[in-house]
Amino acid sequence: MKKKNFNKENRLLLHTPVYIGVCLVLVFLLVLSLFAAVTIGSVNISVKDVYGVIACRFLGLSGFSGYASGSIHDVVWLIRLPRLFSAIVIGAGLAVCGIVIQAIVKNPLADPYILGISSGASLGATLAIMLGVGTVLGGNYVGITAFMGAFAVSLLVMTIANVGGRANSVKLLLAGMAISSACSAFSSFTVYFSNDKEGIQNITYWLMGSLAGAKWPAIKVMYFVIIGGILFFMTQYRTLNMMLLGDEVSVTLGTDLHKFRRLYLLITSVMIGFIVYSSGMIGFIGLLIPHFVRMFFGTDHKKIIPVSALTGSVFLIWADVISRILVPKTELPIGIVISMIGAPCFIYLLVKKTYGFGGNG
Amino acid sequence: MELSCKEVAASLGGNPIVKGIDLTVKEGEFIGIIGPNGSGKSTLLKCIYRVLKPSGGTIRLGNQDLNSLSVKESAKQMAVVAQHNYYNFDFTVQEVVLMGRAPHKKMLERDNADDYRLVKESLRQVTMSGFENRIFSSLSGGEQQRVILARALVQQTQFLILDEPTNHLDIKYQLQLLDAVKRLRLTVLAAFHDLNIAAMYCDKLYVMNSGRVIRFGTPKEVLTEQLLKELYEVNAKITEDTESGLLNIRYTPSYMKG
Repeated sequence: MKKKNFNKENRLLLHTPVYIGVCLVLVFLLVLSLFAAVTIGSVNISVKDVYGVIACRFLGLSGFSGYASGSIHDVVWLIRLPRLFSAIVIGAGLAVCGIVIQAIVKNPLADPYILGISSGASLGATLAIMLGVGTVLGGNYVGITAFMGAFAVSLLVMTIANVGGRANSVKLLLAGMAISSACSAFSSFTVYFSNDKEGIQNITYWLMGSLAGAKWPAIKVMYFVIIGGILFFMTQYRTLNMMLLGDEVSVTLGTDLHKFRRLYLLITSVMIGFIVYSSGMIGFIGLLIPHFVRMFFGTDHKKIIPVSALTGSVFLIWADVISRILVPKTELPIGIVISMIGAPCFIYLLVKKTYGFGGNG
Repeated sequence: MELSCKEVAASLGGNPIVKGIDLTVKEGEFIGIIGPNGSGKSTLLKCIYRVLKPSGGTIRLGNQDLNSLSVKESAKQMAVVAQHNYYNFDFTVQEVVLMGRAPHKKMLERDNADDYRLVKESLRQVTMSGFENRIFSSLSGGEQQRVILARALVQQTQFLILDEPTNHLDIKYQLQLLDAVKRLRLTVLAAFHDLNIAAMYCDKLYVMNSGRVIRFGTPKEVLTEQLLKELYEVNAKITEDTESGLLNIRYTPSYMKG
């Protein structure tokens, strides 16, 4: 009964032109957020100066050449903008990976980290921070070891799930959970036997995620990988839809899901590996955004992938702004902000809307 | 389009379930498979619709060996309505039916106006017009099964497999679903539990028991009181309705024999 009401009030949102319209509105909102957020920060810089730097760097206008260097230029161009641009790509990437992983394991509770990727990454980071593993890899060796840990674990999960018959969603989930707890155990073991207080704090900070380390060269690579991945998954909506119907039905509809599941897992692990590399473990957003978007647009992946990507970007920009300004002179880890703001909003929608979160069969 | 099975065998977890079945469905026929629980009906059908791999024998669709076709190619020629369709996520009816167009789509091809027209048309055929934007999981069992039939119809296949499609449905919906199928004059192979229903709709019946075909013929030839005793260990009276010519199977419960 309640479901019917839900459907009625959202009927408009289910039609194609509306969803394209919503995408355009979100793009507009994203640009607006970018321009607004760049003026906000712990250092007080006038709006005119901020846009002066942007005009100088992006448009190369000669009238603004006074902004080409100096401390204002550095704050805007080297700190604020890289952060915002990485927020955009990471928000979009996590939201889309969340959707894809939920489809792969056919479970609405999954998030991008569920198949052990997070524990693999944190084991890598722990080993790097505590034992100095991978210091030869250069400045961001923690990120690189975390990336390798994440990627190794997803390969391992895929291999184990395929032993003794083809992998299905349940086997993947269970293999992921088992390897996940093994990795956490090794991380805890390492932490437990070390006396490095500072190291422990570093790990904690890293596990909560932060966009503070964003640098332009890394961002370029990120855009290439993440946007590429998102565009790829936008073309795959039909197969993603079928994943939710299960293997048997998909075969009768002409698609053998097995190879697609493997391919999608591989692509999401690369995407998430890069995200973890650049910003640590930003949690919850990969679960929150897909469900938030589904509340309004249903489950059809044709619609929810682009809408979620854009929503994720806008959401992460503002979460980052709040993490910078909520407590004066201190920067909160962004993961904390996301959960503190996201969870209550999520619960509100959960109570208010009649969306089933995949639970109503 | 003709379907033929030759000495098809299949095992589940090492146990032979289907033990060498020969079966033919000619173009335009409505063929039923009946048999007690565990007789191998569903396993055989699953081999035909490629969810299971047969351990022996050959299945031919038209003049091609099923094994030589990709699942995509076979899904263009054969659609399936199975007994259980439970979706854990909220799809609308239109989205569910649209998935039936998948076998006709290339990797990067989007849905076009033709696809939507076919969806509308199939929903009309199963008398579900106007349900396009309803959430699939909020529908009743009968409505859901008719939507699944619509999805099979947009696959635009010659051949339709029904794997106990009317289980758990009220009699009204059982008849509605099968009437919809019958009207379309497709080539159909269907497994049934309900013998009265099977007798009503099928041109011919295969009777299966412990993995083998034990009888084949028209419902009148096959369904005898003796067979029901032998197969299901029940007593029944079979009469023919003089008006409609339909078979009527009345079971006699053992407490009444006194």
